[in-house]
Amino acid sequence: MNIIAAAIAIWGVIPSAIGEAWVCSRAIDGISRNPEAAKTLRNSMILACALVETTAIYSLLVSILCIFLG
Amino acid sequence: MFDNFFKLKISAEVISSLIVMGIIIILSVVIGIMAHFHDPLKKPKGLLFLAEMGVEFFDNFAKDLIGTRLSGFGGFIMAIAVYLFFSFIFGLTGLPSPVTNMAIPLSLGLISFFTIHFISLRYKKWRYFKRYVEPFPVFLPINLLSMWAPLLSLTLRLFGNALSGYVLMNIVYYALENLSTMIFGTLIPGEWSGIFIAPLVAPILHLYFDLFSAFIQTTIFISLTTIFIGQEIPDEDEVLSSDVKLLRKGGKNI
Repeated sequence: MNIIAAAIAIWGVIPSAIGEAWVCSRAIDGISRNPEAAKTLRNSMILACALVETTAIYSLLVSILCIFLG
Repeated sequence: MFDNFFKLKISAEVISSLIVMGIIIILSVVIGIMAHFHDPLKKPKGLLFLAEMGVEFFDNFAKDLIGTRLSGFGGFIMAIAVYLFFSFIFGLTGLPSPVTNMAIPLSLGLISFFTIHFISLRYKKWRYFKRYVEPFPVFLPINLLSMWAPLLSLTLRLFGNALSGYVLMNIVYYALENLSTMIFGTLIPGEWSGIFIAPLVAPILHLYFDLFSAFIQTTIFISLTTIFIGQEIPDEDEVLSSDVKLLRKGGKNI
């Protein structure tokens, strides 16, 4: 039962993955239009990716807690 | 009562946290002594150069995000950033990383939470309490609940990142040990057959899960803290620009 709960909880990474892909594609768009701003855009992209990743980390945390403590 | 008081049960992560604090204290004392006896006309070298670069970076960082109204905030941010970075990469030594215990991210989150509210209270005075009844007084319970959201998000982001990295590394080590035993078990009998594959694969994963995530999470934590604090302080530029407009209007009338 714990494993099923963990498997359901890990579904929360799907929207996060989509959002991260969106961030990356937009950043690549911006870099291809204005290659001079590549450094700034890359730094902002990594920060934004890590911020978007937070939701995925929450669901990973819940799923780990379900396995080990549930 | 006194038996329990003297035999404190301290978890391993807290001891690692104390070791990290000791390392930081020794580093800062050494850098302080170096800075004291250093000739200010010469170029700084080595550790002192790094420290000066860091101090300048964090001062500029605080000035960019908070503004000039609250000066001297770079030290607070630098202290948090250095402690967080060191405690994240402390997991590389093999001892438990302090961030994998819930208490330490929670303390850091509480520090930034109380700082945000204290500075808001100091700069907005009585208008601080207006945030709980916005936009209508009916929203009071909702606002009282949503006030804890930044604390939870700051805490759980750190804790989740560190714990997931720790658990994944343990799973990878377990799998690699079993694989190594499967391959080399016939050649080398005993427990020593499990150590051959992990040293080749694990460093790359450590690079991501410890160093990269330490850097990124430290950056995010201090950025969020500074941005939250900067939001609470009324902008100095707005006041100045409105004064300039008034002056211009007066000039036109004359």
